[in-house]
Amino acid sequence: MPSKRSGPIAIEAIDLTKTYRSTVALDGLSLSIADGTVYGFLGPNGAGKTTTMRLLTGLSQPTSGRARICGRDITNRRELAPAVGYLPETPPLYDEFSAREQLEYAADLRDIPSETADKRISEYLDQFGLAGDEHKRISAYSKGMKQKTAFIQSILHDPQVLFLDEPTSGLDPRAARQIRQSITDFADDGTTVFLSTHILPVVEAVADEVGVLFDGKLVAEGSPDEVKSRVETGGESTLEDAFLAVTSADAPISNTAGATDE
Amino acid sequence: MTLRRDVRHGLRIGRAEFVRSIRGYTKETRRVIGIIFSVLFFGVMTLFLASGAYVAGRSVQSAAEIPFFDPATTVLPAALLVLVVLRTFERIGDIEASEFVLTTVHPRAVVIGLLVAETSRLVLWFGLPIAAFVAAFTSGLGAPTLPLSAAAVLLPLVGWATVWGYALGIGFLRVLQYLPGIRRMLKIVGGALVLVFVAGSQFVGQAIVSEDISIGSLLSRVTFAPLVDYVSLAFVGTPLARPSSWTAAVVALVLLALTPVGLAVATRQATALWFTDVGSRSATAQSKGSESGFSAPKPLALAQSGRIAWGHLVRGVRHPQQFSHLITIIFFIGPVGTSAFQGLDDYLGLVVAGTGIGLATYLAGATFGLNPLGDERPQLPFLLLTATTPRTLVRGRALAGFAIGAPVAVVASLGSIAFGTKPLHGVGFALGGVVMCLAATAFAVGIGTAYPIYEEREFWGTETVVPSTLVLLLYIFIVGGGTTIGYFTTLYLVSEGIPTAVLPGVLIGLYGLVTAGVSYGSYRYAIRRYRTYTFD
Ligand SMILES: Nc1ncnc2c1ncn2[C@@H]1O[C@H](COP(=O)(O)OP(=O)(O)OP(=O)(O)O)[C@@H](O)[C@H]1O
Ligand SMILES: [Mg+2]
Repeated sequence: MPSKRSGPIAIEAIDLTKTYRSTVALDGLSLSIADGTVYGFLGPNGAGKTTTMRLLTGLSQPTSGRARICGRDITNRRELAPAVGYLPETPPLYDEFSAREQLEYAADLRDIPSETADKRISEYLDQFGLAGDEHKRISAYSKGMKQKTAFIQSILHDPQVLFLDEPTSGLDPRAARQIRQSITDFADDGTTVFLSTHILPVVEAVADEVGVLFDGKLVAEGSPDEVKSRVETGGESTLEDAFLAVTSADAPISNTAGATDE
Repeated sequence: MTLRRDVRHGLRIGRAEFVRSIRGYTKETRRVIGIIFSVLFFGVMTLFLASGAYVAGRSVQSAAEIPFFDPATTVLPAALLVLVVLRTFERIGDIEASEFVLTTVHPRAVVIGLLVAETSRLVLWFGLPIAAFVAAFTSGLGAPTLPLSAAAVLLPLVGWATVWGYALGIGFLRVLQYLPGIRRMLKIVGGALVLVFVAGSQFVGQAIVSEDISIGSLLSRVTFAPLVDYVSLAFVGTPLARPSSWTAAVVALVLLALTPVGLAVATRQATALWFTDVGSRSATAQSKGSESGFSAPKPLALAQSGRIAWGHLVRGVRHPQQFSHLITIIFFIGPVGTSAFQGLDDYLGLVVAGTGIGLATYLAGATFGLNPLGDERPQLPFLLLTATTPRTLVRGRALAGFAIGAPVAVVASLGSIAFGTKPLHGVGFALGGVVMCLAATAFAVGIGTAYPIYEEREFWGTETVVPSTLVLLLYIFIVGGGTTIGYFTTLYLVSEGIPTAVLPGVLIGLYGLVTAGVSYGSYRYAIRRYRTYTFD
């Protein structure tokens, strides 16, 4: 297990709360994630995962609470931008561009020198099997091709913290494995990956730490094994069992929430 | 420095946005053809204007001779400001793929980028005609420095208007974001204002031509003297030069000083708008929710097509922007309508009934019927795979339009009794109007499905699909013509009774047959289009 609760903190959130009019989307979320961790962020639909990511990337403002990414306050956009990469639920791409143009544009806005950018873009396009289609307009791409392009776009500048919102959705097995592989590679190089997904085997394969969000609250946190051991079914329990146990409506929330070991 | 970096990023964003819109213009041959036509049209206009400007340049002796020069110097910046505000509402209030852009660069760069792109688009459309105009005037005047000095005068003005217009527009959008109630109201009031504005412009146009209202005296009141001095600077070094005054210099300084301030304000406003989602735009309506399930009121609930129609009506009320295309009719009613009312005092009742029926048939078809496949494209995979027949789907759509048009026809016809129509005639008109509405909806779904439009356009901050202008114009001409004949036929029938003479009988019969035939054929065609629809 690499870096567990040691070294500098990459993502630190204190009592983050977000309400949309009457809906409480996020209810006092606190996080402390060390550098180089792959953090699997789980939770049922509507739990507040996307909301958390939007807050931590500075795209939306918390109703209360604060957070820092690599020691930079999330309200300081100028400092935050170079440090984070974000892959949202829907790929933020322009239909009128080709993948190549889109990525070059992104590199340009990131002030990546053009030779470096060219090299990286070609490498990544090759790696994700897009090289043959790089000059096709994105409007003619399949869902998975868009997803891959957006993933490359989010890692182009070697961010220190990478936020991935369901990165493998719509991807074929090869591409999904490719993404899993890059996630571990990035973590090995010291990048922190904050990963939200519903595909539990992915989490089990890559995550050093897991947090389960339910109704805007963190109801379980720890290494995958710790979270699994929380449900005592006698025999072998899986992450899926644990997920179902801590996110059911009648789960003893107070019990499990105590797991947020400080 | 951060400003240098933001400007650099802003220029890149501006270039990318501009390229994207160019590719958008040229995506389809249909649009390209449209553009070619407008270029031809504007080209010819430009030629005329330029030759006029050349002649004017030769003959003009002093700036005071240029008609409306003084008020124009005040109206110009105001108009620029309003233009930017409107464009902010319509198009540049936010940036596409914002999650990518806003996590990559500073909001100030985005503001600069959007404004650069918008200015470039305007220059693309209007730059050439304006340049031709100025060039012709210059060569007429024989003062080659004019374009330079004019540009030097215009630039600070444009800079000022762009940033402040943007700040203002975003400010409005923020108010709307916080006050969904006001937002809804403004949608309606805004729509009404556009109507009033367009109709008003028609009246004013007529008034200028016919009544010769002394617009000059009216406009001279809005003239702001320092601006006149400032704009007159453009004529420095030409025969039209005025003695320059210190106020001109002050105005120039103020404009130059206010531009960075405006940029700062605009950035603050935009940041506040883009990073606070008080329940995002679409969520405002959704958070209102609907307590009851989906249940249509009585007469509509009886048939499946009625319930489908109710669905169209409900969605229409919740998303009124989809009706933006209906405004087009004003351009036709404006000139024709206003002259029609002149000297018809004795027949006021008939005019009311006629106008009402015309409006009714227009609404009956144009509200829901002119782009059925385009409106429903996202849901078609579901709709076409349900057990509901295409016939019911088409009927539902026609019925929704009918439910809007028929009441208008009935109310206008019966209401015209108050304006002197005989009661029996009023009832006759109501009946005739309802029948015509039926024909109009059936006809609309046919030409609507013949030429569907799928891509969305931004309108008042939301994306919406509107019918092709070509289809709309065709509909207006055919249904407008048909309704006119139908109206006079009804008038004949209610006042003369069933014709006994051969000629009127044959003519009326022919009219009825053609109308019924075309409408029914059109309706059948729509059903066939639905039945054989494929996605590609
Ligand atoms: N713009 C918004 N306006 C109003 N409510 C919102 C908005 N965005 C999110 N919500 C609400 O906030 C809650 C959390 O939503 P969020 O998108 O964060 O869930 P999620 O965990 O990402 O779910 P999923 O797994 O389905 O992606 C939901 O109850 C949702 O209804
Ligand atoms: Mg989500």
